[in-house]
Amino acid sequence: MGLALLTGCSNARKQEVNVYSGRHYNTDKELYKQFTAQTGIKVNLLEGKDDELIVRLKSEGSGSPADVLVLVDAARIQRARQEELFQPIRSEALNRDVPANLRDPAGNWFALTRRARPIMVNPALVDPASLGTYADLARPELKGKLCLRNRASVYNQSLVADILQQKGAATTRTWLQGLVANVKAPFFTSDTPMLRALGRGECGVTVANQYYLARMLSDEAKPEDRALAQKIKVVFPRPTHVNITAAGVTRHARHKEAATKLIEFLVSPSSGKGYAAANNEYPLKGFGDNPILNSFGRFEPSPVSADQLARGNREASALMVETGWK
Amino acid sequence: MTLLAPRPLPRVTPSSRPVLTAVVVVIGVFALLPLAALLLDAAFQPAMAGGLGLGFDGGEQIRGTLVLVLGEGVCGAVLGTAIGWLTAACRFPGRRWLRIAQLLPLAFPAYLLAASLIDWGSSHGLRIHGMGWAVLLLSLANYTYVFLLSTESFSITGGQLLEASRSLGVGPWQAFRRVALPIALPAIGAGVALSAMEVVNELGAVRLLGVPSLSAGILDRWQVEGDPRGAALLSLIALAIVVLLVAAERSLRQRSRRWNLGHANAVAQAYVLSGWRALLAQLVAALPPLLALAIPLVWVAEGWRNLLLEPLAEQLTLAGRSLALALLATLLTAVAALLLSIIRRWSPQLVVRQLSFLAGMGYAVPGSVMALGLMLIGGPWALSPLLLLIWGYGVRFMAVSKQGLDAGLERIPPSIDESATSLGCSWTQVLRRVHLPLLRGPVLVGALMVFVDVVKELPLTLSLRPFDFDTLAVRVFQYASDERVGAAMAPALVIMALGVVASLALIPTLESRD
Repeated sequence: MGLALLTGCSNARKQEVNVYSGRHYNTDKELYKQFTAQTGIKVNLLEGKDDELIVRLKSEGSGSPADVLVLVDAARIQRARQEELFQPIRSEALNRDVPANLRDPAGNWFALTRRARPIMVNPALVDPASLGTYADLARPELKGKLCLRNRASVYNQSLVADILQQKGAATTRTWLQGLVANVKAPFFTSDTPMLRALGRGECGVTVANQYYLARMLSDEAKPEDRALAQKIKVVFPRPTHVNITAAGVTRHARHKEAATKLIEFLVSPSSGKGYAAANNEYPLKGFGDNPILNSFGRFEPSPVSADQLARGNREASALMVETGWK
Repeated sequence: MTLLAPRPLPRVTPSSRPVLTAVVVVIGVFALLPLAALLLDAAFQPAMAGGLGLGFDGGEQIRGTLVLVLGEGVCGAVLGTAIGWLTAACRFPGRRWLRIAQLLPLAFPAYLLAASLIDWGSSHGLRIHGMGWAVLLLSLANYTYVFLLSTESFSITGGQLLEASRSLGVGPWQAFRRVALPIALPAIGAGVALSAMEVVNELGAVRLLGVPSLSAGILDRWQVEGDPRGAALLSLIALAIVVLLVAAERSLRQRSRRWNLGHANAVAQAYVLSGWRALLAQLVAALPPLLALAIPLVWVAEGWRNLLLEPLAEQLTLAGRSLALALLATLLTAVAALLLSIIRRWSPQLVVRQLSFLAGMGYAVPGSVMALGLMLIGGPWALSPLLLLIWGYGVRFMAVSKQGLDAGLERIPPSIDESATSLGCSWTQVLRRVHLPLLRGPVLVGALMVFVDVVKELPLTLSLRPFDFDTLAVRVFQYASDERVGAAMAPALVIMALGVVASLALIPTLESRD
């Protein structure tokens, strides 16, 4: 068996497309199967973490087998573009299905789904009506009530980059100092335990991606988690930080046409819905028909583009270090 | 049979010496090539703005790793040695079962223990976070290295030795402290060295627990900040910490070198414990495996509704891949480590000694760093990713095989080699008829540890596996890092089952020596 594995690298000229993906959902594989059924193109999949996949693609260079790169963070996708890991794609279908602010102007990458990072509140401790923007999280009356995930989280880096692009470095620094002063230490390393602490009243307010709360409210969750999640109220700040999952055709793709077809398939309204539903995310246009997400309400997305998020990432991280965000 | 003597004299015929040296050089080159490729690449990268500095939290990360290594080292050594002695030299009800149970914690990946404990804690209002928990969890996950190597040594510590000490009126404590412990020191040292390397490399668990560590710093430096030079620098510091530890342990031991030849048929009169002593022994031996088992099982008991099962065919495929990779890697490392250790004994030239020491240090190189080194080699040569992966396993886990072997060889007095050669045995005959039978225990223990380690291995597998080639460990990690512990648990339980089955293979070896 081992030898068969060693020599089992096929590169026959059959119809196939090789995908490096930062997502890990079994439902994705169902979608890829549908794609194969429709087009006869086989999808080979390698799932990993965003940063690791970027490094792998870079070090493989022109010998890379990857045709499509899917990443789950705007800053990462833009970094891959800066590293020239993509090639521009012209496709009417993509331009029609992906709104202009959710794709690279030159066609290097296209968003597949959207996710929001709203404020979440335990109304027993903090009045949801007192919070209108992310800036309010720095107000002194929230001292000891704010829980945050650590700065290793790319979601927080992108959130800070968003604020940085809107308000500039000085305002962002003051805001971060206020946040850190309010934090009930230590910083969390993941969102779900943080939301449980919020539901239990150990924290009064936090920021988290909507899908973690949606997952706790879904049938997938334990009854105890559902009970905790039901105590949490989502507050969409005006505007709300939005991040994306996005894909592009790699620079050295050997199956460019098949790769383009796959991305077109994934953003098409019918299958795009499935891609977003896999992780309780929002579709590219509108707010979808996920009843749990609809119960959170609607939001006004931040005007900051993925390109700006990416450019602000390094400075945002540095500001987080400087102000003591662990 | 305890004696102090100079290094064994080489009895290799002059004609075979170059061949043996060449074998060591070839293995050494394969072992060192990935790291060399990386250092070369880093040297030619443009320096980052910060130069070769340690970065903003480099100091904190070094401190974190040092505290982790020392904390785990002390806890693991005490726990592993105590249980190793109790289950090898004492008799109390349940001893046999408890001895086998010590192998359980080895089968649990530390990141899964951390993820399920944090998840469970957060459901019960308990915040699992920080250094204390990290030391506890890593000790639990790694003390088995010390246990396995020390108990193997305790159980073959010649019956006569303990008999003799007993007839001289030496009590059990004294016999342990003055006879058995000194003889087992190389094995204990080897176990501590292995667990230290494991801790330096630990990434998932320490990250989840919010402990700053070099391994996380290396990955961030390289992947997030795009600074391979900084990453290489940090990984050299990590390597230096481990090399210093291992070298210190070895030189301390060099002064008190003792040889002991185990007699498989020597039935030592074991110390029979009863009453509160037996109870205490049971408690000490039962607690660590129970804790390791309880963390995931309590999670499963409470969260079984969340257990997300993949289709059986998928589970079997994943398990098949893990199994095939682990068997291949086990075979490869066992052969390479045996060659290195034996040749070093027979042909103790400086180059052979140095190369064989360095080649056994691959375990201390962070897996992700080694993966990058292998990619740098593999890229231009268009080597198959699977070939690189097996190569990586070989380099990384050779230490696991070799540490135990070196310790085992140290116990065999050189006079044995000399008698055999003076009786006309060639070195290959000595190897086949003397060393291999005497090394059966360490070889098997080493093979088991490599097998279980490969099944759990993450960074190399993540970075080097080809398309549609997930393993059990990869799935566990991906689900756990998406905060879906329910989905991670099923493949984790299969890892555990594989580990337990592999451990069962060891029982005859451990028990036949009693």
